[in-house]
Amino acid sequence: MPLINARAEEISSTAPDVVLPPDVELAAVLPTLGELAVVAVEFPKFRDGRGFTIARAIRQHGYQGDLRATGHFLPEQFLFLISCGFSSFETPVEHEPAKFAAALAKPRQPGQLLRRSLARAREVA
Amino acid sequence: MVLQVITGNRLADGVSVWFAGANGWTEHVDQACSYDDAGMEAALAQAKPEDAELRVVDIRAVEVTHEEGKLFPVAHREQIRARGPSVRTDLPAGVWRDGTAQLPPLPSSTSSSPFAGIYRYDEYDRDFLRQRAREFGTMVERRRKGELSEDEFKPLRLMNGVYLQLHAYMLRIAIPYGVLSATQLRQLAYVARHYDRGYGHFTTRQNIQFNWLRLEDVPAALAALAEADIHGIQTSGNCIRNTTTDEFAGAAADETVDPRLYAEIIRQWSTDHPEFTYLPRKFKIAIVGAGHDRAAVRVHDIGIESYRNDVGEPVFRIFAGGGLGRTPYVAVKLRENLPVPELLRYCEAILRVYNALGRRDNMYKARIKILIREMKPDAFIKMVEDEYASLPADYCLLTDELVQAVAARFPEPELPRQDGGVLKAAMLDDRALARWVKQNTHPHKASGYVSAVISLKPVGGIAGDASADEMDVVADLADKYSLGEIRVSHVQNLVLPHVAKDDVPALFKDLVKAGLATDNIGLVTDIIACPGMDYCALATARSIPVAQRIAERLAPKQHEIGTLHVNISGCINACGHHHVGHIGLLGVDKNGEEVYQITLGGAADEKAAIGRIIGPAVPTAKVPDAIEALMDAYLKLRETGERFIDTYRRLGAEPFKEVIYATH
Ligand code: HEM
Ligand code: SF4
Repeated sequence: MPLINARAEEISSTAPDVVLPPDVELAAVLPTLGELAVVAVEFPKFRDGRGFTIARAIRQHGYQGDLRATGHFLPEQFLFLISCGFSSFETPVEHEPAKFAAALAKPRQPGQLLRRSLARAREVA
Repeated sequence: MVLQVITGNRLADGVSVWFAGANGWTEHVDQACSYDDAGMEAALAQAKPEDAELRVVDIRAVEVTHEEGKLFPVAHREQIRARGPSVRTDLPAGVWRDGTAQLPPLPSSTSSSPFAGIYRYDEYDRDFLRQRAREFGTMVERRRKGELSEDEFKPLRLMNGVYLQLHAYMLRIAIPYGVLSATQLRQLAYVARHYDRGYGHFTTRQNIQFNWLRLEDVPAALAALAEADIHGIQTSGNCIRNTTTDEFAGAAADETVDPRLYAEIIRQWSTDHPEFTYLPRKFKIAIVGAGHDRAAVRVHDIGIESYRNDVGEPVFRIFAGGGLGRTPYVAVKLRENLPVPELLRYCEAILRVYNALGRRDNMYKARIKILIREMKPDAFIKMVEDEYASLPADYCLLTDELVQAVAARFPEPELPRQDGGVLKAAMLDDRALARWVKQNTHPHKASGYVSAVISLKPVGGIAGDASADEMDVVADLADKYSLGEIRVSHVQNLVLPHVAKDDVPALFKDLVKAGLATDNIGLVTDIIACPGMDYCALATARSIPVAQRIAERLAPKQHEIGTLHVNISGCINACGHHHVGHIGLLGVDKNGEEVYQITLGGAADEKAAIGRIIGPAVPTAKVPDAIEALMDAYLKLRETGERFIDTYRRLGAEPFKEVIYATH
């Protein structure tokens, strides 16, 4: 399955060092990730949003390597995945990389409203 | 022999269709082919070729009977799908709009409401909504081309407020914290008139639902609403929903903190939240800022009470895990005295624990209320506190600068009028006015003003429904008397929040003329009722007709009975809040017959309680008798000035049980 980066460009495949299932016990795993090059988080079904919280927690814990989404997710979720800290994406068979690229064409950014309110207030001030 | 037909809903417009063999799909059940058991398998294969999903969804067989050359579905639900809502025989099922008519200009192109207390959008915010409407158009296109399966499309359309119901698609539009400008209400009226069949339904969650949308029209309807800064974003789906509050927010005399500011902040924070948009289940937040809880915060996933601490700063009391549905719970308290900067951080911590651990194996056990009970509240609170403590210090911090930035975009209402005594004098000669004022107005923090409630519960009408014409009238009255501002209450009524006392007699006269002066707020005929089986695909019973019959029966005694909340749901999902009604009615199906379970003693306010079922369900036709008997017993038993709920709390269910079951 094609692997893409956060700009939806195809990149050459590398095997993850570890694949975390959605019910992973994070407290136990977080301290072990440190130097790993690629940590994958599995989405069993696009509706199952646990991977978003797992990714945020891993990034907040300080992990700086490649964080990869695998399994089933939609182009419509691409921006959310990026926001939560994913940096590579094994795109599912049903949704080709081009559709992910199309999702990036949108000016919209997740969580932008509150940030924008602040930015605007600073502009005005 | 069991006879069956095959039915589904057309993808493009949601109309119920019936399979007619070689003739494809028809809109009339009478033209359908019927099959016995032996023929069904082959027929289903014929009706469901591999690409069937591109045209018709939810294809299935339903039982029919054959009488005098006509086919009649057996199940009530299928009869309603075939004919249309039983409570609106003027609106038969089927295609009602061809979509080619030229529409007039939008109200927002000629009307504006510069003084209404809505959050002021700028072009950037408006573009955000226009963009969302266009994106939804792309999703619909992707679905119609087969690039998205129905299974993938469904959560995406739900996230934009679009359901597939019995007769068409339903569009749910948020009214953030229940505040609308006159212009926005006119825009809603426009959508009701042109994209729907002339009306909308205001819900208990400060939303409005349109029942007759065609999927093809939804992007255009959303684009029209975007021009007035309204949207259906996150009004459904497993995400953070519209934040609700007190309908008198910013106006009520008993308020200490105006919750609209924080509700708006929560709206901005939760819209498109990257981490919390695919939660185990829906997530509802409510916030109040007065001593009296008018937004039922204790039956929400997160409930927030804002109040002032010793030095006069606003702080929050946080509850979580309340909810209704099949397992009703009153929320547990997590925190007192949470300072403003920590509000979103604390909510993040709650949601993180929930997103990671909430059940995903069983949708009936997926709400946060179940997680909290399964973990035990203390263990849950400890996990939230640990998660909260481990958040980076600046993460999601609600800085003073941010609060001020949002606050600056709410116009402060100017309320200079003093009480000139006009109302008091008019009430002396006009008993109808006096009664309406007593029942339908609420004390305002500016002494020359009141908040006025416009009842959407005329006796015999449909609770919460308003026609496009009525919406336009209310918008005009808001412009004339209330700074162009309207509120939607969680009991499905409308409110003019800032009416000068001296203007009340004139307002009342205008309301009488428009047929909107029903003086029943908080009384037995001010019933909360969900749409029930006439519109809702999940229903087990029709709630609207029962509400109508109860109101008709008890209207003559309602002022004598006094404050009483009757809440009705058409199924266990409890959208009609039956668990927290002083009297709750839940419609269930018993061998093909609608019957109603009665609960007593529920309350949604600061004394929140889940009502208790008092005995076997009552047949539909007997419900008005049962409620009347209950009321007669109450009138005999009450002490002076005692509300029904207080008599119930004093005496328990026994005396009421007896009289209800004596009626049948
Ligand atoms: C007609 C389409 C509707 C559908 C398909 C629908 C569906 C549902 C479902 C499935 C639940 C149960 C959720 C759970 O327990 O996890 C629910 C709860 C609820 N709904 Fe609706 N509903 C509809 C309309 C309404 C309306 C019209 C209102 C307002 C009058 C409403 C307000 C609520 C409320 C307040 C709850 C209970 C609170 C809670 O625990 O979430 N819904 N709805
Ligand atoms: S309570 Fe049931 S019948 Fe009523 S609107 Fe909710 S889901 Fe539909």
